[in-house]
Amino acid sequence: MSEVFSILEYAFFRNALAAALLTSLLAAMVGTYIVSRKIVFITGGITHASFGGIGMAYFLGLNPLLGAAVFAVLSATGIEWISQKGKVREDSAIAILWSLGMALGIIFVFMTPGYTPNLMSFLFGSILSVGKAELYFLLAFFVLTLAFFIIFIRPIVYTAFDPEFARIMGIPVAFFRYTMSVIIALSIVISIRTVGIILVLSLFTIPQITAMLFTRDFAKIIPLAALWGTLGSLAGLFFSYFFNIPSGAAIIFFLTLQFLIIKGFVMARDFFRRDERVLG
Amino acid sequence: MSKPLAILENVATGYFSEVVLKNVNLEIFPNDFIGVIGPNGGGKTTMIKVLLGILPLFKGKVTFPQGKPNMGYLPQISQIDKSFPITVRDLVGSGLKTEQSWFPHLSGRQKNQVNQMLDEAGLIRLASKPIGELSGGQTQKAFLCRALINQPQLLILDEPNTFVDKGFEQELYRWLKELNKKMAILLVSHDIGTISPMVKTIACVNGTLHYHPSNQLTEDLLKVYNCPVDIIAHGPVPHRVLKDH
Repeated sequence: MSEVFSILEYAFFRNALAAALLTSLLAAMVGTYIVSRKIVFITGGITHASFGGIGMAYFLGLNPLLGAAVFAVLSATGIEWISQKGKVREDSAIAILWSLGMALGIIFVFMTPGYTPNLMSFLFGSILSVGKAELYFLLAFFVLTLAFFIIFIRPIVYTAFDPEFARIMGIPVAFFRYTMSVIIALSIVISIRTVGIILVLSLFTIPQITAMLFTRDFAKIIPLAALWGTLGSLAGLFFSYFFNIPSGAAIIFFLTLQFLIIKGFVMARDFFRRDERVLG
Repeated sequence: MSKPLAILENVATGYFSEVVLKNVNLEIFPNDFIGVIGPNGGGKTTMIKVLLGILPLFKGKVTFPQGKPNMGYLPQISQIDKSFPITVRDLVGSGLKTEQSWFPHLSGRQKNQVNQMLDEAGLIRLASKPIGELSGGQTQKAFLCRALINQPQLLILDEPNTFVDKGFEQELYRWLKELNKKMAILLVSHDIGTISPMVKTIACVNGTLHYHPSNQLTEDLLKVYNCPVDIIAHGPVPHRVLKDH
């Protein structure tokens, strides 16, 4: 146990803990919107499209996460625009976006002369190298998103659930849908640091489906997803440190394990309750 | 006769460049109960969207001589994602306009209003349940509560008799008859047989609108109106006559 406390003396590990915590809380809010609206696949497209931005930024000598942010926001608002116009087979368009983003990223990185950047850290995350500046940025974005959710929870839910009715009720539907697209895009890019492009989607979905074993009320899913997300992320982070495996993979592994265990408990509980009802 | 609630004059509308409806003329009076029938794809739902003001007009105009009325709207339930995590209480609350403009939460008074509405509809016991756990009839009721919570002057229902059993259908029609004393009702259905006995007048929508100032329609008239709908009336034995029998 003393070993667990001793690693807290390292600044890099404290930063990593704070990053994991903030990312989990951010993902709890944004992921609940994603899962409720059933736009998990769209979010996957946005995530992978952002890799194109990382590659381009490297090529141009800019901050790679800035490139990722630009690509992610453009593809997220683009998809929202397409879906509002309707009439397009969304899933095919997303598949193209998904692979094109990855292809562009690889092309640009290979065209970048000289030093080849550490692509692995973007694909699988590198939470142990998160710096103070990034942490403050993450904190600021989390606070803004939290404020937006607290103030506008009703219109956020209504425009996600039944946009047409929300429009009739005079809610500015386009504003909320586009703002949420931008929030999704930026949350993903920020979370790439923690778990990487390939794994980021699970951070926005596994805590939610775990929470939905207990409640089907949007506003109540968020705190529960925050709880499960935080627990799984911290467990994964400690595990990754002591067993020297990539943190992103460890976090996702723990989130899934946690889901399966809880799902098992819930199924067992329901089974025995049914028995009581039928037999007792 | 009092002034109409809404007037559609020579309206043409549709989606993008596609014209779905044209030359639509209709007046809706405060105690009307209009059954809107017509084939699928004929523009019934499109006409509703014009009334609700969420589709642009290509031509013509929509006017509200008594000022814009409060409108309650029940969309087609098939368009709704029933697995969305929203409770019955929140669903009904979403039909309320918020009183505080920037902090959009329901006031205590509005929460009471929601509970009262659910109580009247016999749904109060299900208030905290997610809509995914409701039966077809309960779902329709919950959405009807959302449409009614604002005390509308015009209630617009799009296919309220789908996904429900016959028992609920009878209950719904009794309820609507009661509501019709206080508000105008526009009820869309592809099934004229069930709605014909309860509505006061019928409008056929198929590319355009033919208004029929009674609830009795003959097959010949439907042909004139170019309104190919199922006119087999429902009863113990299906029969094909809609006049008194």
